[in-house]
Amino acid sequence: MSGGVRGPGGHHVGQVVFRAVITLLMVGVLNFLLFRVIPGDPAAMLLAGARSSVTTEQMQAQRQSWGLDKPLVPDQLVSYLSTTLQGDFGYSFKFRGKRVGELIIERLPETLALAGLAQIIAIIFGIFLGIYAGWRRGGVIDNLTTGTSLALYSTPPFWLGMLLVVGFSTMLGWLPGYGSYSPGAGDGSFLAGLIDRLRHLILPVLSVALGLIGQYVVVARAAMSDVVTEDYMVTARAKGLTNGQMLRRHAFRNALLPVVTLITLNLGYVVAGAITVEAVFAWPGIGSLTVEALNARDYPVLQGIFLLLGASIVFANLIADLIYGLLDPRVR
Amino acid sequence: MTETLPATDNRRRIRVRAIKSFLSQFLGHGGARLGVFALILFMAMAAMPNLLVGPLQTAMNATGDFLVSPSQVNLLGTDEAGRDVLNLIVHGARTSLVIALVSTLISLVVGTAVGMAAGYYGRWVDSWLMRMTDFFFVIPSFVLALVITPVVLETIGRSGNILGFRPSLFVIILVIGLTSWAFVARIVRSQTLTLRERQFVERARVLGTSNLKVMLRHLLPNLVPQIAANGALVVANAIYTETALSFLGLGDPLQPSWGTLLALAQRAGAASSGAWWYLGAPGLCVVIVSLSFVLIGNALDDTFNPRRRAIP
Repeated sequence: MSGGVRGPGGHHVGQVVFRAVITLLMVGVLNFLLFRVIPGDPAAMLLAGARSSVTTEQMQAQRQSWGLDKPLVPDQLVSYLSTTLQGDFGYSFKFRGKRVGELIIERLPETLALAGLAQIIAIIFGIFLGIYAGWRRGGVIDNLTTGTSLALYSTPPFWLGMLLVVGFSTMLGWLPGYGSYSPGAGDGSFLAGLIDRLRHLILPVLSVALGLIGQYVVVARAAMSDVVTEDYMVTARAKGLTNGQMLRRHAFRNALLPVVTLITLNLGYVVAGAITVEAVFAWPGIGSLTVEALNARDYPVLQGIFLLLGASIVFANLIADLIYGLLDPRVR
Repeated sequence: MTETLPATDNRRRIRVRAIKSFLSQFLGHGGARLGVFALILFMAMAAMPNLLVGPLQTAMNATGDFLVSPSQVNLLGTDEAGRDVLNLIVHGARTSLVIALVSTLISLVVGTAVGMAAGYYGRWVDSWLMRMTDFFFVIPSFVLALVITPVVLETIGRSGNILGFRPSLFVIILVIGLTSWAFVARIVRSQTLTLRERQFVERARVLGTSNLKVMLRHLLPNLVPQIAANGALVVANAIYTETALSFLGLGDPLQPSWGTLLALAQRAGAASSGAWWYLGAPGLCVVIVSLSFVLIGNALDDTFNPRRRAIP
């Protein structure tokens, strides 16, 4: 999808990096402008508790000390961007006084564990199934995998999560369907705590992974079917290579290129993709933080999350572009 | 007059033949038949919900017991307020489909305009428009909508009524439509680049046809197949985005879409109390509709472009 043909001038590392920086800058500018649209004067909001006794002069002084009397563009924008660059994302409304950066860093490991595991599982199963289905096009396994992947691809992962909770948690009672650990489970031994955490991971990881598997199968299969019809495959066959040799030496490597790009791109979306699933399982990561921020209209936190999502996506895109340039000599 | 008659007659015959062969090829795909059938069913639901299941039930006029499993009275059971789930999902079809289709329309119009202008004018127009497109292409619609929707909702407020729909629906429609066009713009641009060099476009320009007319009369008709095939995928994506946003609480509980129903089910603890019918029905609707659009999109892609196989 992205990457690929770039038009005249070719594929320069500098150009790719420049684009990424511009996109990131646009994320920052959007973040700034968007949250200035909300009605209400920030200074008035800050002094809302002491409304009766606040004089116009005090308000004026407050506005001055926060730099709110300066024009929106460029003064306020520049100071917003520069403080953001220094890692200062402001303070949360809901969690009074807490820094947004701290909140996000606290929650991030939970999301990374969930989404990372799901990615690994999806990559292994998705690529294997997709390559196999594309190699044996029209076979039983192909039809079965393709149908299932399409259905999984169209299924919202959080709904899958709800179904899994009904089935495996409520009805069968096999696995926990809520939270990331049971209180007190880790008191006995380290092992008991670890097993408890893993049991809590299974259903949410499965919900995220199944949707991703569908995606990987679709792309890997398409890439493989493209490769199978190439001239060099006919040549390889004419040279008397066996099926296994053809698959290993020629088909697999070439089919992997789009898949690697997709994997790299997906790494940028791991956090975004887990948001809704976390909401189902009350998983204490970025997703639940997003829901809390949405419900409490905690805009600084929402701003910080948007910045995190934007930055990770832009970064993953940058890596994907660079990898594509490395792997495909035609792009160089 | 008499001389032109056979010509137009012939042209009409060619057109009819083309449409017939298109339909037979398109409907030759099992997936396309399935998708069209399912969509007609859901469109009928969306067109006349009151006729099928009566007016939308609310907590005030609900008749059933709380969280009853499917029975003869409530074919799909009831929710935590005693409302009939079948009633809710039929009314939800209207909300979900209106959001998905109108936002797709916006996205197709914006994407086509941007892509066509970029490809046709080239040079600085192209590079600026494509820079902008890059941004929307990289940042997914869901992520953008996640921060834009609450801000806009807060700014305009949630009360009132426009054309029988709540204003928050328009906000969601606009936000999804205006954030999901980049994919279309890229495809349209690359197609425009090849069309621009074709003789019929050059001839039209030499004859002094205005740029706007060249784009609308000569380029656009040739872009329709590509736009249609990808439009189906845009709808599927719009349904997903809407469902996810509503699930996170950005939907309107007074005019529930399927995603809003899922959010209500989650809040009522439907999953942990085993009320599979409550959360199963709206989710299944989402899957069927979005799968239908994907299947139709693949069949269209295959029909219009026989050299490329259907995506999966």
